[in-house]
Amino acid sequence: MMLDKPAISYSYLLLRGSFLALISLSLGACVTASIEKERAGVTGLEEGEGVVIMAKSYHLGNETENDFINCVGAAIGRGRGGLRVVPNQEFVDALFPWFEPRTAPADTKGLPDLMMRPGVAQMIKEKGVRYVIWLDGTTDRVAGGGSMSCAAGPGGGGCFGFAWWTNDAKYEASIWDLAGLEDAGTVTADYTGTSFVPAIIVPIPLLARTQSKACKGLADQLKLFIIDEPKPI
Amino acid sequence: MSGWQKTFSVALLIAAVSACSTHVSVRDPHIPDPLITAMPLSVGVRYPQSFDHFVHEEQVIGKEKWQIDLGASNKILFNKLFNAMFTDVTLVAESEDATTLGLDALIEPSIDAFEFSVPEQSQTDSFAVWIRYRIKIFDRNGTQIANWPINAYGKSQTSTFGGDEALRRAAVLAMRDAAALIIMQMDKSTGISKLINNDNAMPTTAEPAVQQTAVEEQGDDAR
Repeated sequence: MMLDKPAISYSYLLLRGSFLALISLSLGACVTASIEKERAGVTGLEEGEGVVIMAKSYHLGNETENDFINCVGAAIGRGRGGLRVVPNQEFVDALFPWFEPRTAPADTKGLPDLMMRPGVAQMIKEKGVRYVIWLDGTTDRVAGGGSMSCAAGPGGGGCFGFAWWTNDAKYEASIWDLAGLEDAGTVTADYTGTSFVPAIIVPIPLLARTQSKACKGLADQLKLFIIDEPKPI
Repeated sequence: MSGWQKTFSVALLIAAVSACSTHVSVRDPHIPDPLITAMPLSVGVRYPQSFDHFVHEEQVIGKEKWQIDLGASNKILFNKLFNAMFTDVTLVAESEDATTLGLDALIEPSIDAFEFSVPEQSQTDSFAVWIRYRIKIFDRNGTQIANWPINAYGKSQTSTFGGDEALRRAAVLAMRDAAALIIMQMDKSTGISKLINNDNAMPTTAEPAVQQTAVEEQGDDAR
């Protein structure tokens, strides 16, 4: 008499799942990073001076995520060499309507005229803003594949399959010096990360935190750019 | 059908209908005090009835119904704006003859159109709102000197704010955009400063933009 055996045993499934997870881990949810800096002028901060993080105008098609702007602002303000960050909305409201998406200067050539407007220079001084950091760019999914299906029944449920996707976070930060009314330079960050989700009964997400790594990387470089780097002779 | 069955059916129907509609309300757009100097002009402002309670309803094709209630926020917006732009502002009732009030100008703002898009339509994660205002200006004799359309635009991401909140914020941003545009362009587009009673007085606000802005650089298509 032969006993009925399940076609695929649970131990086999677990073994296969662990194997896939190991392969995925060895592939890693890795992120590759590239950061470039272009300095146009001498930077530095005096006592009481700070920065404000702004998104380039959506009137020009810019789609920079608010979460990313908040993340960069928070990251610049904490840790070693943290800068004083004036909240974006507070700055925009105090200078209304001169930093609205429609009215903000397109480039540093517009700064002298902006400063001549009644009350603008005084308000910027009052807020203690020395640098405006304009962010441009987005995180996009550039590739993906695989498939996964999940099912549930009276005896339990599970997922089978393998999915992956690649995100590309490309951002550019332009730094304007409001004291010298000039362009201080640009920092660009390009981070690419691939995430994997193998699933044998239980999905194991191996996520590449591309955007948050880009946020931290860009913020660290901006801090260095503004205060830590030796001034050119 | 008994009484309680009827009540239950009506409640079920209301629940089903409301499940397919979203209501967004803007009570006060919280426009900041503009950083400008007032123009020495005595103006009257006459608002249309729709400014007391403006409601826009739209059924997105194949999707849910949206109701956007701006309440009196347009009135709040223009009150804030004109009180900052002009030294003397008087509210003029619809039935009142403005030519007897000794004003330099009468301003009549109105809404021509209100439109919005939801993420499903734009294939993005953003809500967008377009408001087309119109400003008519009359001189002290009641002669119309300007009829100026203003296209304002606001956009807000759903990833940061929830769906309802993102649409509300997009509407507020469109109002702020209108305010910015009016401050920047009103005199250039309407010539209102020419109505100043004192020939020696110089306009000090709403003057043509002196700096090149991001949008001007790209042209008005950006609207």
